[in-house]
Amino acid sequence: MIFELQVVFGLIALAGALSAALLKDPYAKLIALGILVSGALPFIVDRGYLDVAIVASLIAPISTIFVLMAVRRAET
Amino acid sequence: MIALYVVAAIAVFAAARAILERNTGRRFPYANVLNFAVAGSLVLLLDHPITLIAAAAYFVGSTLEANAIASTYAGGMKR
Repeated sequence: MIFELQVVFGLIALAGALSAALLKDPYAKLIALGILVSGALPFIVDRGYLDVAIVASLIAPISTIFVLMAVRRAET
Repeated sequence: MIALYVVAAIAVFAAARAILERNTGRRFPYANVLNFAVAGSLVLLLDHPITLIAAAAYFVGSTLEANAIASTYAGGMKR
C-alpha cells in the first residue's frame, strides 16, 4: 500500500479504538467500533487475504447487533 | 491513483466528524459516509477481481450495522 494511505487508515483505526474506549454514550461506542473495523479492513485487503476480508466484514455487523441487544436490554 | 487519495481524504474527514461530533444523532450520517468511502477504497486498493466481492460484502455488512444502530437509537420496532 502507499505510505500515506497506511497512515490514513492506521489513524482511522486508532481513532476508532481510542474513542470506543473513552466515549460515554453506548451508541457512540458502537459507532466507534464500526470505525475501528473500517480502519482495519483495508490492511487485510491490501495483503490479498480477500476471503478473510469477506468473512470479517460479514461477521463484524453480527457481533455489533448482539452488543446492540445488550444495550437495549440495559436501557429499559 | 488520484481517486484513491480523494476517497481516503473523504474517509479521514468523515471519521473525524463522526468521532468529534457532540450530538449522537449527528454521528450516524458521517459513519455512513465513512463506510461508503472505505468500500470505495477497497475496490481501488488491489487489482484483483475478487476485490469487488469483498467490497460488496463490506458494503452490505456496514450498511446493515449502521442501520441497525440507527433504528435502535430511534426507538426500534413498536409492538
